[in-house]
Amino acid sequence: MPGERGRAPQDGADEAARRADGLLAVRAGEGDEEAFEELVRRHAPGLLRLATRLLGSRTEAEDAVQDSFVSAWRKLPEFRRDARFGTWIHRIVTNRCLNVLRARRPAVDLEGVPEPQAPEHEASPARVAEGHAAVADLTRAMAGLSPEQRVCWVLRELNGLSYESIAESVGISPEAVRGRVFRARRYLTEAMAAWR
Amino acid sequence: MAVNEETGPGNQDTGPGEERAAATGGNPADSPAEREPLPCGRELWSVWERWESGEADPHAAACPHCTEALNTLRHLEDVVSAARATEPREQDTDASALVGRVMDVVRLELRPGRTLPLGEEDEDAWIVEAAAARTVRAAAETLPGVRAGSCRIEVRSQDTDTTAPAGRLRRGPVGIRLEVEAPLTWHLQEVAEQVRHRVLEAAETELGMRVTVVDVTITDITEDVEGRRP
Repeated sequence: MPGERGRAPQDGADEAARRADGLLAVRAGEGDEEAFEELVRRHAPGLLRLATRLLGSRTEAEDAVQDSFVSAWRKLPEFRRDARFGTWIHRIVTNRCLNVLRARRPAVDLEGVPEPQAPEHEASPARVAEGHAAVADLTRAMAGLSPEQRVCWVLRELNGLSYESIAESVGISPEAVRGRVFRARRYLTEAMAAWR
Repeated sequence: MAVNEETGPGNQDTGPGEERAAATGGNPADSPAEREPLPCGRELWSVWERWESGEADPHAAACPHCTEALNTLRHLEDVVSAARATEPREQDTDASALVGRVMDVVRLELRPGRTLPLGEEDEDAWIVEAAAARTVRAAAETLPGVRAGSCRIEVRSQDTDTTAPAGRLRRGPVGIRLEVEAPLTWHLQEVAEQVRHRVLEAAETELGMRVTVVDVTITDITEDVEGRRP
């Protein structure tokens, strides 16, 4: 890569993406809807995946991400330049999903949670049956987590964020995040063991 | 992070036991039931936490109770990996329908900015700032590797006819403040001069807008050079 100074290529790409986001966010804040559309295009796939993990439903995830982007458009004029658009929109989506989970009726009857359909795209046929059953168990067990546990656990385990990043995203202390992730893990291991 | 309007108050979503855990720090499992140790005397959370941090844990390696506790956690991690593997890849996620729906709403809530005069004093032609800014940014970006950011256009008070009737939009030439990023290959003064030149040209020929001044600020020098100097 030209102009690279001893940085890993990934960092260079991240830096370029961050810079491009910054420029687009400034323009979008000034009313340039084409710049905003570009931001939506760049971030929508990752945010959709995040929201699908958090909510367990692609349809609800689409609504949550759409609402988040619309809300971002309205707030962009006050967006500070030293802030990262990616971090900001990630946080908006996370909090929107948290509110959706809180508004749900508690899943009292875990046995009533439907087992998810097996996905169509398969990797290797070996161990697939066993793997499917375990993944289905996990999905079912996740429905028993509190909204706060679920959000922290998903960000940690599925999105691979640090406790500090999760704390920033959710607006609680890293210690509280650790507590939630611990409880979620303990609950999930117990629930899955009980079903086996 | 500065912008966090979507974030509720930090403590609102904290359950009863969790607040205490947060307050005492360190030990996330603070209720009596959670503190019940493994038969070897260690607490589950600390066994898991040390494993996650990658810290060496000689006791756990030798202890059957800790080993069992770690096996359940590892099994969970395996299932999580399997679950991740069944998800569609991010680049395969089709978000185009979503992008379309978002933009449908956005286009109902456009922010056009100021209304700016076009043409001469006695004319009655106007353009909104967002539309004029689009032309200005595009003109700057005709230069290789140059990317335009903030663009503010307004009628400058010192340039206007102060005798204009009150309550009417001011007419008069505008001032443009434009921020650009340019690649290292450019000489900075030269790129600022060229941007100014192209912007003035576009304002006159494409918009018919009278411009007194174009302030160009180079906000960043980019390294990823796609274009070369002409």
